[in-house]
Amino acid sequence: MVTKEEIQNIAKLMRIDIENTDEYFERVQKVLSYFDILDKADIEGEEIPVQEISIENLREDQYAPFNDKLIQQLKNYKGIYIRAPKMN
Amino acid sequence: MIGLEIHCQLTKLESKLFCTCKANYREFEPNTNICPTCMGMPGTLPRLNKKAVEKATMIAMALNCHTPERLGFFRKNYFYPDLPKNFQITQLNMYGPTSIGDQGKVSVEGKEIRIRRIQLEEDPGRLIYEGASEKTAITLVDYNRAGTPLVEIVTEPDFDNPRQVRIFLNVLSDLLQNLDVSDPTLEGAMRADANVSVQDGPRVEVKNIGSFHDLEKAIHFELTRQQSLKERGIEITQETRHWDDKRKITISSRSKEEDEDYRYILEGDIPWVIMDDHAIQSWKKKMPESISSKKERYITKYGIPLQVADVLSSDKYYSDLFEQAHHETNAKEIANLITTDLMGLVDTREKREQSKLIPKHLSDLVDMINSGKVTRSSAKNALVEIVKSGKSVAEIISSTGMTKISDSSELGKIIDEIISQESAAVQQAKENPQTINYLVGKVMQKTKGKADPAITLKILKEKIGI
Amino acid sequence: MSLAISAIDYINGIKNGSITAEEFIAKTLDHIKKQEPKLHAFLSINEDAIEQARQIDKKIKSGQKVGAFYGMPISIKDNICIKGGKTTCASKMLQNYTSPYDATVVSNLKSQDAILIGKTNLDEFAMGVATEFSAFGPSRNPWNVDYVPGGSSGGSAVSVAGLESILSLGSDTGGSVRNPASFCSIVGLKPTYGLVSRYGLISYSNSIEQIGPMGRKVEDVALLLNHIAGKDPYDPTTLTSPTPDYLSGIDVGISGKKIGIIKEMSSGAGLDKTVESVFRNAMSAFEKLGAKIEEVSLDMVQYTVATYYVLTTAEAGSNLSRYDNLRYGYELDSEGYEFKSYISKARRNFGPEVTRRMILGGFVPSAGFAGKYLLKALKVKNKLKKQIQSAFTKFDYLISPTVPVLPFRFGEKIDDPLAMYLADINTVTANLTGVPAISIPYEIRNGLPVGVQIHANILQEKQLLQAGYALQNTTEIPEINL
Repeated sequence: MVTKEEIQNIAKLMRIDIENTDEYFERVQKVLSYFDILDKADIEGEEIPVQEISIENLREDQYAPFNDKLIQQLKNYKGIYIRAPKMN
Repeated sequence: MIGLEIHCQLTKLESKLFCTCKANYREFEPNTNICPTCMGMPGTLPRLNKKAVEKATMIAMALNCHTPERLGFFRKNYFYPDLPKNFQITQLNMYGPTSIGDQGKVSVEGKEIRIRRIQLEEDPGRLIYEGASEKTAITLVDYNRAGTPLVEIVTEPDFDNPRQVRIFLNVLSDLLQNLDVSDPTLEGAMRADANVSVQDGPRVEVKNIGSFHDLEKAIHFELTRQQSLKERGIEITQETRHWDDKRKITISSRSKEEDEDYRYILEGDIPWVIMDDHAIQSWKKKMPESISSKKERYITKYGIPLQVADVLSSDKYYSDLFEQAHHETNAKEIANLITTDLMGLVDTREKREQSKLIPKHLSDLVDMINSGKVTRSSAKNALVEIVKSGKSVAEIISSTGMTKISDSSELGKIIDEIISQESAAVQQAKENPQTINYLVGKVMQKTKGKADPAITLKILKEKIGI
Repeated sequence: MSLAISAIDYINGIKNGSITAEEFIAKTLDHIKKQEPKLHAFLSINEDAIEQARQIDKKIKSGQKVGAFYGMPISIKDNICIKGGKTTCASKMLQNYTSPYDATVVSNLKSQDAILIGKTNLDEFAMGVATEFSAFGPSRNPWNVDYVPGGSSGGSAVSVAGLESILSLGSDTGGSVRNPASFCSIVGLKPTYGLVSRYGLISYSNSIEQIGPMGRKVEDVALLLNHIAGKDPYDPTTLTSPTPDYLSGIDVGISGKKIGIIKEMSSGAGLDKTVESVFRNAMSAFEKLGAKIEEVSLDMVQYTVATYYVLTTAEAGSNLSRYDNLRYGYELDSEGYEFKSYISKARRNFGPEVTRRMILGGFVPSAGFAGKYLLKALKVKNKLKKQIQSAFTKFDYLISPTVPVLPFRFGEKIDDPLAMYLADINTVTANLTGVPAISIPYEIRNGLPVGVQIHANILQEKQLLQAGYALQNTTEIPEINL
């Protein structure tokens, strides 16, 4: 069973302030316990499903610049840099 | 015990790992080598660079790794402003071997260093701190580097001491240059973190090390620190420490437990690449001759001495010059000319880039030496001029009067002058004939190296009477 | 001139000169203006639509080559990027976001002279089944505005059903095209994974979602698919196989075909009696068309909703990480914050459902839980794929009701996440296995639409559309009163 503290930690990990853990606790717990149904599935020996591509279909190594000045379309754009808040 | 995580950019590629921006971001103004894809703009998708897979596989093969049947990519999720998507597309072997290589090994001075894994991944952007220190400053971000193809090489903790680490990194650097996948001398092209532990103690990761020189120091510091803790019975904590470049010590990064969970998931936007044998074999064929094979060939085929062959083979710039300049009969002389005379002139990347020297200069110069037209000493002077101007050997020799002086009467006059000036040395030579070399040197100095050394010696001996 | 015409009729009308693009677009915009206060299908309207229509009429008049859509209005779900226009994903996080490039499907439609009439409403980041989770207010079901239109491509379905657009592009991660198509009584197709480029579709769960065409008629959907399907160098997950003309031979019928009824989707406690009754009518219609019908069991289906939510929340958690408000987003001064606290604060602008799914998406791949949730879900996905492949060795088509329940009233399921998630039970299988599936409107019961879902094997869209067309012709949907 998942605890409120775990939910708080995960929210932190996902970088979302949640002021009131209770708001999420019941629903998240309900869904997570529903996920327990997976314990019953007979999936012994199953592989991980992935799509495949051949080497020939990968992109050729060619330089082609993006023509629009992308930096000017972004926010927090200061001179020639993007400005981020101070680190810790 | 020491293990390494080495990051190496594939600087020889044209484009980034997942988009068509320039791989070599160094020539750009900040934030002008970016596009919606490497900026992780909503809706964009990564398009894997075929050549990056080829070049990274060559590294894996050169380090004797297994290559996977299918190449898979994963997302390493963490929040950082230099990471436009707040995840890094990288590789690991979570569902079987899918990284570009694993289980390799390299021998360094007889010691076998095992390679745990090689992975192909994207480099993040760069943070610039504007202000007093990292803690108070405003963070500025330049995304030009974001998405640059990066190969991470993870070793097992097989190093015994910092010296082995240094030698390994030199070997690796030479190997990457020889493969023509990277120029490790470019700033930031090759970076390393270290995992350090003493006597089965917990593993401490040391990051933020600016140069290989500092890496050696950081490892040494960390080994000493842990040893001393151990001797005093203080527990060593498993942690990440940062190298403080100014104080030359490692400092504990604040423990960020929540940050350690990278929530790896499959990168569904990149289908797993089927590494068919045909392609791998064709890449293998394209791989340049290895350093050790070159060295072996230089020694056995041309009779080049071991030390000379060592220097020549391990530096791609020199060995390329050698390969293009030599033929059956002049190989040894070309090798000598490169390793004794040229080396000091082109010992940095900047000097090499500016140098006008081409392989033909070397073969022409050796021809001139062999045919007796210039002395070795003049040849060295000529090289200085060639590197600077790129003029032909013939032009330089004739215009600067470097033609060898082998005319006995002309040399005789010069030698007479020297004998009269250096009476003490002449006396000494009479007593101890070996010291005559001093006088030969004086003649060379006087003639700016143009005097034929053999004839000079002969006349000197006659005149002094020994 | 009626706005209720099919795409095919529109093109014929243009070609024979009975309508002009400008007239049709003007009338459409007029209609949108009247209907929007009630329906709220759109988040933004193309201001240049009239001018674009004029240009196309000019081309037609002067005998120049004109693209296949002849100025037809097509609406686009607001999680698909149009260069220079806002693309919000119905989220406050992206309320001011302008895309610097066109999605591949958008460039395709533009080059074929479609008029992209507006961007349609959705559940925030396409997470929902009712558009109730749009940060800008829900869309309403045009058959009864007290009921939800389905989701997440609710705005797209409403725009088509409400005659505000002839065609629409939605996106389908777990039923997001088919569910609102069923609830609004239109046709919606989820193509084979990799048939349509996702370049420019803002990712929610990238390993299973597809852009899908929506229209009032099966042949309209086939026409739209003709112009969006195929390999795209900008999307490495697109398939290399050549695409057929989906429209030609759409009327060949399904006589002699074998149809399997997916037991786990077509019976049981969760199935609404009205839905079941409509589905039975569709079954007999199929039989009358000469198809052979048999029940088939895919026992992994019972795990699909859990599997779907594990996989999608894990991917969403990662895909939505980029919204840290540094490079784009909304105004929020970083003064007084350090990096972590700033983005944690900024990301509060996600709505409650997105936040919940991000928390779930943090759990399922985390070091302590990945083995319990993520790994198992991946394995179920693999086994389900094998089961459906095996079923397709016996059957040409697999059918079920599109949604096991009728359209519901606003607020009815919003407080019970499981009830809401279980509405996806019949649609997620196509996403998890990659096969194409289509929803065909079959009946209106007590004023509420019910649709029927048909699956075909990988890349069998042509056959799928043929079956849909055949079924469409066995029913008569009454005209909508707007």
